Amino acid sequence: MKTKLNFHKTMGADIVLKVLAEEGVDTIFGYPGANTLPLNDRMAESPIRHYLMRHEQAAAHAADGYARATGKTGVCLSTSGPGATNLVTGIATAYMDSTPLVAITAQVNSDLWGKDAFQETDIIGITMPITKHSFMVRDPNQLESSLRKAFHLARSGRPGPVLIDIPRDILGPVDNGNPRDMPENAPLITDDASSLARIAEALNRSERPIILIGGGIKLGDACARATRFVLEKRIPFTSTMMGIGSITSANGLNLGFIGTHGNETANSVIHQSDFILALGVRFTERSTSVISEFAPLAQVAQIDIDPTSVGKNIPVDFQWIGDIKDALEALSALVSPRDRPAWDQRIEEERTNRASRNGDDGCGEAGALIRKIQAAMPRDTIVVPDVGLNQIWTVRTWQCHTPRSLITTGGMGTMGFSVPAAIGARVGAPEREVVVICGDGGFYMNIQELATISSYRLPIKIVILNNGHLGMIRQMQDLFFDSRFTTSALGGAVDLVAVARGFGIPAERISAQDHAEEAITRMREAEGPYLIEALIDQDNYVYPIIPPGKSNVEMISGKDGRA
Amino acid sequence: MAVQEHIISLLVNNQPGVLSRIAGVFSSKGYNIRSLCVAETTNPEISRITLTSRADRDFTDKIKKQLDRLVDIISVTDLTDIPSVKRELMILGLRVREENRQEILRAIDLFGCRIVAMDADYLILEVTANTDKTVAILKFFEPFGVEEMNRTGAIAVFRQSPS
Repeated sequence: MKTKLNFHKTMGADIVLKVLAEEGVDTIFGYPGANTLPLNDRMAESPIRHYLMRHEQAAAHAADGYARATGKTGVCLSTSGPGATNLVTGIATAYMDSTPLVAITAQVNSDLWGKDAFQETDIIGITMPITKHSFMVRDPNQLESSLRKAFHLARSGRPGPVLIDIPRDILGPVDNGNPRDMPENAPLITDDASSLARIAEALNRSERPIILIGGGIKLGDACARATRFVLEKRIPFTSTMMGIGSITSANGLNLGFIGTHGNETANSVIHQSDFILALGVRFTERSTSVISEFAPLAQVAQIDIDPTSVGKNIPVDFQWIGDIKDALEALSALVSPRDRPAWDQRIEEERTNRASRNGDDGCGEAGALIRKIQAAMPRDTIVVPDVGLNQIWTVRTWQCHTPRSLITTGGMGTMGFSVPAAIGARVGAPEREVVVICGDGGFYMNIQELATISSYRLPIKIVILNNGHLGMIRQMQDLFFDSRFTTSALGGAVDLVAVARGFGIPAERISAQDHAEEAITRMREAEGPYLIEALIDQDNYVYPIIPPGKSNVEMISGKDGRA
Repeated sequence: MAVQEHIISLLVNNQPGVLSRIAGVFSSKGYNIRSLCVAETTNPEISRITLTSRADRDFTDKIKKQLDRLVDIISVTDLTDIPSVKRELMILGLRVREENRQEILRAIDLFGCRIVAMDADYLILEVTANTDKTVAILKFFEPFGVEEMNRTGAIAVFRQSPS
């Protein structure tokens, strides 16, 4: 049915498209339904490009990947009911990693609302705990202001997803002669500079300082400033998984990342430190392990834009709330570079000690394969790991040389994230190569997106590390459940190369050791998308690992439990 | 840490869904709301919510930060340690027998309660007091036979002008 134009009225859909364009949106990821149709219909005359995904979850992940690759706000669109509920995992993933995202859901007609109409669901209620805010547009006069407010909220302060639910009739011809303004945005809280002076003073005094970099550095667009700060002040740094790649020049100050699957040197050094300068970090248990035993000797100074993140998980001695760039600028003037020979020597010993015991980074042949892939690809390649062993292998081996080169689901750990997020990343950064490193388990979870890649001819390179198992589950069963392998074998019945070819994507199968270089070269040189299925041994785990309930310095490096 | 009753006063936009978001903050952080009062202020676009919750000391800091993050919340104040006037309303349905009628009437007078309705063997009592006194009054009347009881939970205003 074609929407009839009523010339006395404005189309709500046109208001939506106008605001999107004015907010700088040129791309949205979506999936249509009966209730989005008035909007889809008007897209024909709009400069905004709509990528038709094959599942709404993938639309949310793609918008998330787009935002992480570009720093802009990602936008996804779905219909009501199942379309909206399919977004939920993607919205939660963005929420946990503070990605600026606007999710637009169409709702049933206003006069049907509350009647359990076809494809009606209370998506506002469902997404309340996983959004920064949400709007149900009840009045056409509020459409424009709600949309603008949604974009403002998504990217201000600590960014995050905002959902806007628009009934179908409000996308159609509406009378909006009396547009309503939203209440003023509350100003962001910023602490005064005196607490930064106290932080700098304590840092200057400290004998064993360390900087801990979190996801907030990238989100706050402060990578360059943080890099300069670290190099100028010559303070060793470590990061959370979300902070990897924020400080891009490889230099002797980088200790790796901390946490359950982190680098031994980083975990050991932060444990011995007497002062932690935490920048954009929220101290989740994945980073700290047992909180009471985390960095027991250290004073902690936490700097963050989000007051709720400060002191939430660990007690802090100093805090400053505000923009990370402002904090770094002020601290630059206040922190003096200092020689700390004893600390430098301790760190050097840790490094040598660990390196000799863990030359392969604990990732085995899978890690070696990932290094070969990186060696073949351009320096600014974006790598998108999935979740499981593949994610840890990737973050432990891939060297990030440029900002926004690692896109990973750190907080939510969403299997199936990588392929759709890579679509968003490639659409947002068409000048960069995008490589997916995925396990077989996660690959199955959004396998339908091969069709999206194929139909838009997106030159995304996909490497599936296929061990026929849910590898991380298998490793935990092996180590902590007496090697009882239940429910974790996926088997080898599926010919993934044939699957990829069926989707129109050239593909080949290799073993991790043999002929990998040639296959990687073919993948790199392929004009369009390319898929490599690499067979990995089922016992290729990741070490070291921190057993549940243990502290960051109780990592084990093998099945025998040795440290 | 010492657990105590906190009384929180919120000014919020008078919009659908706001109460649900607030309740969500309490439940997701594992706090129980013990009482809750919501009414429009003199400005019909703004409502005041007064609620109480039992928690330890760092509750105020944690919950205030979480509530401050909600878009529709205008202000959050913990009135627990701030000079303020706190009142709640309780309505009691009380069984009355010939032998205790005089004692009950004397107590009503003494406590400063009001009788809203009364017949030969039953009366309905209105009590306005702070929470401690309300609890004390309820305790006193319970042995006589409280058949029905309903409380509003506390509301409060600052003792000094908030400006």
